[in-house]
Amino acid sequence: MDKSTIICRCEEISLEEIVEVIANGARTFDDIKRLTRCGMGPCQSKICNCLVAGVIHEQTGMEFHQIPLPRMRMPISPIKLETLATNSTTFSSVKSVLDEVELEDGKVK
Amino acid sequence: MHIKHHPVLGEQLQKTITIYFNDLPYTAYEQQTVAAALMANGIKRLGSSRNLVQPRGLFCTKGRCCSCYATINGEDHVRTCQTMVEDGMKIYPNDEDPEVRGECCGD
Amino acid sequence: MNAVETDVLIIGAGPAGLAAAFETASRGLQVTLVDESKSMGGQLVQQTQVLSSLPSIYQPMCGFELAAHLSRQLEDFEIRYLLGHRVIGFYKDGSVGITDEKNVFPLRAKKTIVATGASENAIAFPKWTLPGVMTIGAAQTLMNRNFVQPGKNAVIVGSSDFAMDVALQLSKVGVRIRGIVEKNTGVKANGTEKVEQVRKIGIPILLNSSIKEARGIGAVSEVDIQQGEDIWTEKVDLVCVDGGRSPILDIFYQLGCSFGHQEELGGWVPQYNNDFQTDCENVFLAGNAAGISTQGALLVTGMLAGINVCAALGAISKEAVEEGKQSLWKELESIETRSNLKVWQARNQHIEKFAHPVLKDQFIS
Repeated sequence: MDKSTIICRCEEISLEEIVEVIANGARTFDDIKRLTRCGMGPCQSKICNCLVAGVIHEQTGMEFHQIPLPRMRMPISPIKLETLATNSTTFSSVKSVLDEVELEDGKVK
Repeated sequence: MHIKHHPVLGEQLQKTITIYFNDLPYTAYEQQTVAAALMANGIKRLGSSRNLVQPRGLFCTKGRCCSCYATINGEDHVRTCQTMVEDGMKIYPNDEDPEVRGECCGD
Repeated sequence: MNAVETDVLIIGAGPAGLAAAFETASRGLQVTLVDESKSMGGQLVQQTQVLSSLPSIYQPMCGFELAAHLSRQLEDFEIRYLLGHRVIGFYKDGSVGITDEKNVFPLRAKKTIVATGASENAIAFPKWTLPGVMTIGAAQTLMNRNFVQPGKNAVIVGSSDFAMDVALQLSKVGVRIRGIVEKNTGVKANGTEKVEQVRKIGIPILLNSSIKEARGIGAVSEVDIQQGEDIWTEKVDLVCVDGGRSPILDIFYQLGCSFGHQEELGGWVPQYNNDFQTDCENVFLAGNAAGISTQGALLVTGMLAGINVCAALGAISKEAVEEGKQSLWKELESIETRSNLKVWQARNQHIEKFAHPVLKDQFIS
């Protein structure tokens, strides 16, 4: 692998870009995702997840069990908005970003 | 290339179907996915990447990588590895993002 | 629209899902089986090699034959088949969203068995994104399921047992394998017989080597292979990457299950106890999703998850459960210690850590 090797096929994020954000303190897939868009394309990190974990391991020496999984939100695979919207009123709500942070008095802890 | 005589499964390819890629006709068989049928006809590039405009094609065949996206019968971003061929299907490569911000789309 | 109700929802109609469906449906439970594919059997359908280490009641057979057998076994029962359907996620009230690509509808199950299987890991090298570079499983699917020759001249990156199987199959349909490239000092495959067969038909196995770069306009046309100091070019139109497999976890993640890490089981694996029950009471798992193993073991885990779900829903007597569990665990031990002892040890370690998962409450950052 050289530094221009693509790690995230969808968003075309190179090894160099990922190494750079790790050098700046990124330690998890989601850190890297927020800084580079890695894993935000149509496959939603299904392909680059293991590659990114490998890069984190190589760059930081962290063991694989110390590198958490990326978030996996609904929808699990691509779906037409037209399809997703069917029967929308009969469904309970989905887990939202707000469910993912701990709130205290309506503010993020 | 289609495998007419499979070493284990025998002669499975019987019913031919015509599909169109960039308006040109190609022969496919009913058991095949769109991506596979195109590959049998020597077509591997199914689209271009969004940033660097690099060629993309089939990668995982399991509907996960989305690398085989193409436009089928007017619908953009269809996973061609998960779509079976149908007679007369019109397929175009996924070369640019669809226009969603135009006036016609209410922007 | 009211949610569809079912006793047991089985996600994935591969070997584990079908085995679980038999155990539950045959004891009178109402079973719903979902799979994205329109056909049953999952990845078994394109396995044309004879499967080793099946449970003792089975004759040796190929994957596609096993798929047909497992589907036939369900014919006597009333099962709601949702083939060509996908699970898109879970809602706050616990119902699952299922789509037939036109509509999304909610489904509510008393117990869920997740048998989503495994996905193949990628291997990156410069220009691995070119068309013609694909996973080894993709090449096999094209050849054995779609009857398409994926290329004429190929290299395979990785040397697992599966890579050896596919190398032999590709050769039989006229693909010339220019080499099997392995980065380590030894072949990864355990099956020495298969490795011997591969060598015998003249496929070079290159150790300590890697792909330095792929090139091509519109599709791959050549690769540079590096072995030590030597670098040379092979003209190929197919590169198959065999990066190993990992459990597919999206559904467990959405359900809020905990995870542990076991390298030998494929990395992150949902945490489960010896009933194949996750830390979400109503969620069971089976197959490769519970750790990568051989097809025989996958069947047994499906049966185990199935009878434990029957027990949880009171569809089987206590004695029968205990007896069934004991014999199935024995079978699993026998298969896994024979085919890959490390997997068996990792599975036991994983179960021991049920109460102490590494990743928990991952929805809360």
